Amino acid sequence: MTWKDIAPVPTAQEFIDIVLSRTQRRLPTQIRAGFKISRIRAFYTRKVKFTQETCSEKLGQIVASFPILSDQHPFHRDLMNILYDADHFKVALGQVSTAKHLIETISRDYVRLLKYSQSLFQCKQLKRAALGRMATLIKRLKDPLLYLDQVRQHLARLPDINPTTRTMLVAGFPNVGKSSFVRSVTRADTPVEPYAFTTKSLFVGHLDYKYLRYQVIDTPGILDHPLEEMNTIEMQSVTALAHLRAAVCFFIDISEQCGYSLKAQCSLFKSIKPLFANKMVFIVLNKMDIKPFEDLEPELQEEVNDLAKSGDVEILRASCATQDGVQDVKNHVCERLLTERVAQKLKAGTTSGGSMGSRLTEVMQRIHVAQPLDGVTRESFIPEAVKNLKKYDKSDPERRMLARDIEEANGGAGVFNVDLRKDYLLADPAWKYDKMPEVFDGKNVYDYIDPDIDAKLAALEEEEERLEKEGFYESDEDLGDESEEEVLEKAEYIREKHRLLRNEAKMRKSLKNRAIIPRKQQKKSFAQLEDHLDQLGVDTEEIGLRGRKETQSRGRAVTRSRVGTEDPDSMDVDMTAQQRLRSKSRARSQPATNRLEDGVQDEGMRSKAERVAKLGQRKRNRLAKAGESDRHIGTTMPKHLFAGKRTIGKTSRR
Amino acid sequence: MRVDPCFFCGRPSWPSKGITFMRNDGKSFRFCRSKCHKNFKMKRNPRKLKWTKAYRKNAGKEMVVDSTLQFAARRNVPVRYDRELVQKTLKAMERISEIRSRRERVFYKKRMAGKRAREVAAARKLVANNEHLLPRLRGSEKRRLAELAAERGVDVEDLEREELENVRTSKKSKAFGGETRRLRVRTDGGVEEITESTGGGMHDEDDDGFDDEDGMDTD
Repeated sequence: MTWKDIAPVPTAQEFIDIVLSRTQRRLPTQIRAGFKISRIRAFYTRKVKFTQETCSEKLGQIVASFPILSDQHPFHRDLMNILYDADHFKVALGQVSTAKHLIETISRDYVRLLKYSQSLFQCKQLKRAALGRMATLIKRLKDPLLYLDQVRQHLARLPDINPTTRTMLVAGFPNVGKSSFVRSVTRADTPVEPYAFTTKSLFVGHLDYKYLRYQVIDTPGILDHPLEEMNTIEMQSVTALAHLRAAVCFFIDISEQCGYSLKAQCSLFKSIKPLFANKMVFIVLNKMDIKPFEDLEPELQEEVNDLAKSGDVEILRASCATQDGVQDVKNHVCERLLTERVAQKLKAGTTSGGSMGSRLTEVMQRIHVAQPLDGVTRESFIPEAVKNLKKYDKSDPERRMLARDIEEANGGAGVFNVDLRKDYLLADPAWKYDKMPEVFDGKNVYDYIDPDIDAKLAALEEEEERLEKEGFYESDEDLGDESEEEVLEKAEYIREKHRLLRNEAKMRKSLKNRAIIPRKQQKKSFAQLEDHLDQLGVDTEEIGLRGRKETQSRGRAVTRSRVGTEDPDSMDVDMTAQQRLRSKSRARSQPATNRLEDGVQDEGMRSKAERVAKLGQRKRNRLAKAGESDRHIGTTMPKHLFAGKRTIGKTSRR
Repeated sequence: MRVDPCFFCGRPSWPSKGITFMRNDGKSFRFCRSKCHKNFKMKRNPRKLKWTKAYRKNAGKEMVVDSTLQFAARRNVPVRYDRELVQKTLKAMERISEIRSRRERVFYKKRMAGKRAREVAAARKLVANNEHLLPRLRGSEKRRLAELAAERGVDVEDLEREELENVRTSKKSKAFGGETRRLRVRTDGGVEEITESTGGGMHDEDDDGFDDEDGMDTD
């Protein structure tokens, strides 16, 4: 129950500024000469409406953000009533809400008027009037807004009191040590000063007891006078006492150092007793270090004891100065509070008949308290072997042999090898050192290991038998008849022939830098022709004779006659005999000589010539020239070899 | 120690051979040789490469559905050593592999059924179309034989046929090649050895079909 997040309430002037500047910022501001009247009207209507909307929104927010008193817990309601005066608060909120309605009415009226305005000027005047009236209304809200902002600030600083949780309420006269107690018991930093009314409002601290969180409320001191005369500070205490369902610790200073007599304190207790109805009350006798209870006069002792007689009141003793009994008080009160609350809850959950209500049963079902086995004693089991085990003693020669001892006996570390197989758990201990193949026949043995291999294998054998019977394995390996073999052989022969032919053709096709010679022009010797025919099975004997007879002899005709060799239609041209001969001659065929060898008489000359050739080549090679005609001049100073720094290393490279 | 099948080609990869790739999601890939590893890195699909087991299985070239194939399986439940069980298992393994090889042979035969008929048909056609390429006697040879026949008084035709036979057989001998030894698995489970003295380079070994398979089906 916090009111820490209420938005700040602006003052009236700020409110007006916010609303008007927003209207100015969010809406178009310029009217141009050519605008139609309808557009101008819309322009100003929008202004009025927008201002109204902003006002309503803001005012609505203010009204909504404050708590509604009737919805609050009675404690909070009363506290607010005391602190801020409920009437005042309600009136302020009511004024704000009325202003909102009024602004809406104004806006409605002026929008209606604006519909009938005839000119820009008229529109503008109407708008001004509307906004002005709204501003006036808000100006009138000056006081409520101021008040509401103060309330907001105060609310935000109120302690966070939860009226339903486990609560310990500390009450009593001023200056009796209430705040000191709260300070020493909780983490709260309540001010402690040696004068009355140090604490002017409620303070809340928290403490933990049995893993539960308790709320401790420190109240301002109360004086013993009628309720009507109490001031605001005291009233807060009274409110807390009245409305919180808590364990009340009424502090009494028996040393009377606080400035109030023990009698006065007792009478206060009596006078506020009606507030303690249905509550646990503890009277804490404080400042025991100054004056122990036993030192009191008997009649005073009697009076204090009298207080405790009536109803649910206990007397506890403590000293906040020495911390004596403070923790005891705390623990006692918390314990009592806890048991009381649990009992109350159980009571609330049970119907008059004694059976548990549905909600309670639901809770109880979820609670399980484990109980020790009823009556059965379970002895711990210790095996005989363990019971008889002798305590290990290093010096005893008949001690148990440890693995370490075995290692020592067998050559020590690095020599002894632990026998890992020794402790194998197998059906037969004799199997421990069996060597099992991991791979058999190229297959992993582990993949085949199967406890029910027998059954599976039997099934396979059965299947095998069945297949055998069905003739699954009968082979019909006939190698074919003779003629098939022959055909295949012939085919193979033909294929080989094809391959050869193909190869030949391929060889023929590769030109190797030679000209394509047409088939007609290709030279085929007579022998080739003859061989081919012979291959085809033709007897060439007689054709050969005939063919040879008919072939023209190569070279010139033996007879030099021009008769019959010349074109009869050609022009008669005078030629010398030499010219004529020349024209008829055949080009000399290429000599079959190696020009490299030509002109060198013998082997000695040959080697000499080679040496000379090499010598001539030497300079060119040295200068990396490609040949005689290579005139290339390389870069004299390559950039990459001359620019930049050199690191450690070669001087020729960078 | 395990003999794992290669992830890519399916060949058994023995310890110390090949390489294992561990992907960062924990899956491990065993490769029998760098060829498989490289192909994997190239993201090739083993189903599309003819040399892998995956292809052969996918293309129906190998026995995939059979009861003998169900015996080997990686079991994640360890079985405590038992001498009798292991002995039984080893015996069973032998028997299973025997049955399996028989069935594989039958499978191969079924797969190859009709192959010879097709081959013969193709050969017939080839021979019919290329009669002119068949060996025949040279003209001069014929003449010589005719003369010889006249001399001896024998029938010319006989001599010619004899001669033609000689030509054909002499053609078969190759410049290279020697003795080829093959193991043929018979359907009754036995293995027979075939020796051919004239096998040569021209004679393709892979059209035989099951010689090359032997390298792959040990898994």
